[in-house]
Amino acid sequence: MSLIYEDEALIAAALAGSPHAWEKLVKRYESRVFNQGLRLMGNPSDAMDLLQEVFLGVYRNLHRFRGDAKFSSWLFRIAHNKAIDLSRRKRLLAGTPLNAEREADPLDSLLADRQQEPEISLMHSQLNRRIVERLSQLPLAQRLVVELKVFQSMTFEEIADMQDISENTAKTRFYAALKKLKQTTEGEHVLS
Amino acid sequence: MSCPKTDYLLQEYFSGSLSTQASAEFDKHLAKCGECRAELDTLLLTGRELLSWQDQRVPHWDRGLGLFKREHAAMPKATGWFERWQWAPTAASFAMLCLLLLNTSVSVSDLGFEIAFGGSADRAEIDRSLATFEAQQLAEIESLIRRFEARQDSNNVQLLQAVMEQTQQSTAESLDRIYAYFEEQRLRDLQDMQLGYQQLADSDYATLRSLQELAQFVSYRDTAR
Repeated sequence: MSLIYEDEALIAAALAGSPHAWEKLVKRYESRVFNQGLRLMGNPSDAMDLLQEVFLGVYRNLHRFRGDAKFSSWLFRIAHNKAIDLSRRKRLLAGTPLNAEREADPLDSLLADRQQEPEISLMHSQLNRRIVERLSQLPLAQRLVVELKVFQSMTFEEIADMQDISENTAKTRFYAALKKLKQTTEGEHVLS
Repeated sequence: MSCPKTDYLLQEYFSGSLSTQASAEFDKHLAKCGECRAELDTLLLTGRELLSWQDQRVPHWDRGLGLFKREHAAMPKATGWFERWQWAPTAASFAMLCLLLLNTSVSVSDLGFEIAFGGSADRAEIDRSLATFEAQQLAEIESLIRRFEARQDSNNVQLLQAVMEQTQQSTAESLDRIYAYFEEQRLRDLQDMQLGYQQLADSDYATLRSLQELAQFVSYRDTAR
């Protein structure tokens, strides 16, 4: 059975009330959503928030999933929208002194999370830490395009459709993001 | 970055929209422009570094199972074919029972087919049946009334007998008592009468003696004179 058919079977069983099917469906995609959250939100705590919000959204709207598109596409569209919502909420909360400090340097929050939550101190990989550090320097719009292009392997047409922007805008954002990332990398090399 | 073409060419390259001819020109330019080549290499390296991301393990969470179970426990749904259709035999049995109880019959005629409830007997037969049933019922009711009256009569007779026995007993006892009373009164009257006669006799005797004494006195006085 292909993954798509298996997804459909799991969705049908979950809609019929099978917790086992729901758990299997979540397990299948949670790692991809969580890692996407890490890259977009910059810390494990917010990545977990995103993960929970995404699957809550999936659960609430599962009966609306028609099967016209792949379940994974539908799910990552939800994840994309939830990431934007969560980032906006964080930006609004940044008005308070506590969060303003976090917003000033996302890596601080990452380090703080690691100290406070040893169980989810997931940034064990130096490479991952460096990538998160670089991505956090990008504006959200560019970060999202990089995420979709590099990590989700989407075409610019698909990105434009998902973000409701023109294809050219998507390309420009991606190139601008690459240049910004390159500058950050060069800055790191100079410092090191 | 002094090459004026770098940004344009690299943006086109990374957008994947270079035509075959443009791609050939781009390669030609790269071959002679070290600046663009270096920029391209750096950008490619940047992209590759991003791809070195190592997926990280998801921390433990309940995967929304708590919510899922809570909401589905409140509204359990049928999961299999059997659960979805297990009401069917009961419904079929009920329908058959209704058909039997209503004596449903289906008849096909030239006009079509008709479904009748309660059989197909004609009106006269129904009336005859009703009259017979009514007569049977009346006869039965009369029989019951007669039996009831007979039982009531029997009960009444028994009751009267019991009452009369009681009355006779009490009457006899009363007559005995009256007779005894009269006898007692008669004896008492006889005694009183004897006593009266005695007193009368005594009185008569006293009168006689007085008369005797008076006579004696008179005779004495006459004698004396």
